[in-house]
Amino acid sequence: MITLVTGGSKCGKSRYAEKLFSLFGGEKYYIATMVPFGAEAWEIIARHRKMREGKGYVTVECQRDVGSVEVPENIGILLECMGNLCANEMFAENDILKPADKIVSDIKSLSERVSELIIVTNEVSCDGIDYSPETMLYISQLSEINRRISEFADNVIECVYGIPVPRKGAVIC
Amino acid sequence: MKLITGGAYQGKAETALKLFGIRKEDIISGEDCEFEEVLTAKCIRDYHRLVSRLMDTGADPVEFTKRLCRENSSCILIMNEIGCGIVPMERKERVYRENVGRCGCIIAAESDEVVRVICGIAHFLKGEGK
Repeated sequence: MITLVTGGSKCGKSRYAEKLFSLFGGEKYYIATMVPFGAEAWEIIARHRKMREGKGYVTVECQRDVGSVEVPENIGILLECMGNLCANEMFAENDILKPADKIVSDIKSLSERVSELIIVTNEVSCDGIDYSPETMLYISQLSEINRRISEFADNVIECVYGIPVPRKGAVIC
Repeated sequence: MKLITGGAYQGKAETALKLFGIRKEDIISGEDCEFEEVLTAKCIRDYHRLVSRLMDTGADPVEFTKRLCRENSSCILIMNEIGCGIVPMERKERVYRENVGRCGCIIAAESDEVVRVICGIAHFLKGEGK
């Protein structure tokens, strides 16, 4: 089962994703994609770590190339979050890349190796601001990734202040 | 009249082709079309851009939208949801958001079907498919 969890920032996506993940009976792996950059990042990481405490997740730090991450077969994966992964793959070293094709194929190959895949992503396209070309490219790439994952995902859930709204499939919990 | 809305890059124009049986050639863009074209076009995308262009000429986008509703009442309008950020510091930007919001409300009220698209997935907020 593949579930994409989306929504604006701080709307309860992680909490919902973890609740959903807790229903999976097998071994649980957490793929953390955030590059810890500065104090705020560490704060978020600390808060998310606390939320995951005692849940028996194996945490794997993976900031790019999630398609080739080494994990056993038939496990469950919670990947958090696509917004970071997209930025990591896009702004690699000095180049600006268009990572949508690569990330979608990475996610597809990952999904074929595991029993459960929950992906937390981010909605960043509704504030109407014309940002710099690089930022607009980032928004369009992340949106493209979300659209293409939604095509093969079983469930797409939008979180609104902690309330899961089904966009595709069902709200399971 | 039909309205398709949602954030940028969510697959709104694609949704218009799929749901309402129009062709790519039927779609004009508010970014670069003639203002008069809007009154006869089958489908107008980036209507929020048209609002911005109308403002640049000193025209009232709300009045223009009301005229559009009278004269081209079977068209499909596609416009971005743009109101989910911080209210901008600049007055012109604030007026722009207000105009887009008001025009969107008028169009939605006139429309028999209103669709919101997220991640390429269409949801009817109003009308048949709901």
